[in-house]
Amino acid sequence: MTNRDEAVMSPKFGNVPKSSAGRRQGRMAVAADGWRRWWPYYVMMAPGILFFLVFHYLPIWEARIAFEQVRIVPPNIWVGIKHFQVLFSSPVFWQVLANTLIISAMKMVFFLPVPIIVALLLNEVRGGSLRKFIQSAIYLPHFLSWVVIAGIFIAALSPTDGAVNNLMGMAGMAPRSFMTDTGAIRWVLVFTEIWRSAGWDSLLYLAAIIAIDQQLYDAAEIDGANRWQKIRHVTLPGIVPTIATLFILNAGMFLNADLNQVINLSNDVVRSKIDIVDTYVYRIGLQTGEYSLATAAGLFKAVLGTMMIVIAHFVSKRLTGKGVW
Amino acid sequence: MALSRKTPIERIEYAIIVSTLLLLVVVTVQPILNLLAVSLSEPAKVPGMSGLTIIPRGFSFEVWSVLLQHPNVQRGIFNSIFITAVSTVIGVVGTALMAWGLSRPGLPGRKALFILVLVTIVFEPGIIPDYFVNKRLGLLDSYWSVILFKAVNAWYLIILIRFFEEIPKELLEAAELDGANPFQVFWHLVLPLAKPALATISLFYLVFHWNEFFRAMIYLNDQGKWPLQVVLRQFVIDGDKVAIVGANNASNNTGASQIDLRSLKAGMILLTIVPILAIYPLILKFFTKGTMSGALKG
Repeated sequence: MTNRDEAVMSPKFGNVPKSSAGRRQGRMAVAADGWRRWWPYYVMMAPGILFFLVFHYLPIWEARIAFEQVRIVPPNIWVGIKHFQVLFSSPVFWQVLANTLIISAMKMVFFLPVPIIVALLLNEVRGGSLRKFIQSAIYLPHFLSWVVIAGIFIAALSPTDGAVNNLMGMAGMAPRSFMTDTGAIRWVLVFTEIWRSAGWDSLLYLAAIIAIDQQLYDAAEIDGANRWQKIRHVTLPGIVPTIATLFILNAGMFLNADLNQVINLSNDVVRSKIDIVDTYVYRIGLQTGEYSLATAAGLFKAVLGTMMIVIAHFVSKRLTGKGVW
Repeated sequence: MALSRKTPIERIEYAIIVSTLLLLVVVTVQPILNLLAVSLSEPAKVPGMSGLTIIPRGFSFEVWSVLLQHPNVQRGIFNSIFITAVSTVIGVVGTALMAWGLSRPGLPGRKALFILVLVTIVFEPGIIPDYFVNKRLGLLDSYWSVILFKAVNAWYLIILIRFFEEIPKELLEAAELDGANPFQVFWHLVLPLAKPALATISLFYLVFHWNEFFRAMIYLNDQGKWPLQVVLRQFVIDGDKVAIVGANNASNNTGASQIDLRSLKAGMILLTIVPILAIYPLILKFFTKGTMSGALKG
């Protein structure tokens, strides 16, 4: 980081004269010299830059249909904030926004601690190969698509021959159809999120734990600290910055309740409970064809989300020195 | 460790810790092993099979052989491999070339380009504008819609820039003094030095593209172009068995109609995971390192 900042601050190509006329001349000389030296880099970067402009910036331009009436025969008509007014007066939209916030909050409370606990436990495992075996197993789900994970859980939660209901049956409980249970489906989202990423995310905390100065543990040992005292007074304080960073960054992503997850675990019965902004945009936009309204909803989320993530970045940077980028 | 030194309480604690983690391993792996057992059982014995077992009832490759001979599945495998391979190559090449320029401290316009990239990370206008850009470019219903769209990933780009920045300046300057142009320095010096980083982002792209289904689902109407993930989704998530089993069981001659749906679904899910399992040792090696070295997004 410092390297790069320094580099930006001190351009290597020539001294810039102080007088204003001289400065302009100098700047042109610098530009000409710069171009002669640097054009090959721009040739090499051209495909990448083009991809960014076309596939990231053209969509921003296309998003103007949020302010337009789409007509079959162009041009579209400018209607200002009409679609936003329709959106904000729609109870469905507020329900969807509420769902998004509820699901994000549930994940934050019930997901975030799990990888921390897993990392703390893993750190206690001494045998190198035992630890490697556990890690190899619990990291795997992170690399499976949500289509696959949804497939796995539709099977595992099946009321007739799913593992969960088989276990409940052994305990004498009545079978429950979790995937079509409006009371259970949000917990299915939380649990599948834990299943997929708690193992992998523990790696981030494990990296922080490994970075803790071994001397602190030795000192604690001399003071007669037992396992739990070491965890409480050395390990946990050592990873607080990482916890804070990930917590803040998660808060910044609050409006992203994971489209890929929800779209694969949703169905007509439970939709009202887990329809989030992204699935709403997909449904009314690409399935119903209300492009302008859907774009307005997407844009609302994007603007709010950007504000949140930028705030999260600076808060995190201030508190822990680590940001989003 | 010298276990004999431990008190009984410490040993019990350790046992609890290890069993908790092993329970986690079971919860993670058991659902997958159950599907494997179901897919390898004799299809006739599958109904009534418990979700808890990991041992097949009887043993048969029938489900796998029916799936692998099914034209729609074969098509899906081909599409997935094609899309993943081409996207990954384009992604890695584009990312590496751009990262090389952006890693050079004196590059004019460097800061502006960084901002150009960072903006795309924090602001995404959403799927409808994306869709319209694809439509406007005439990419809809073509492989290129999935392959080209957002082919260079901003996160992977940043990872690679950081890596390139760590290449010792003296090496680059020495090569430049010898009269090597930026292309030559990149090809003969930077790429060989960056092999581990390139392997890492290649795997990132590979896994990302193999698992990608949403864009394929909305951009590709033509079922003949669907990657495996979308075929799987239609069959298992949407419960639309027409493409795999056939519209009418009696008149269907693919063999799939004779087999319990549960076995077919289990087989399809596993089939889609096979490539990930095949490269999993590499993933463990490179992803772990990549994540450990500070990239927050996995």
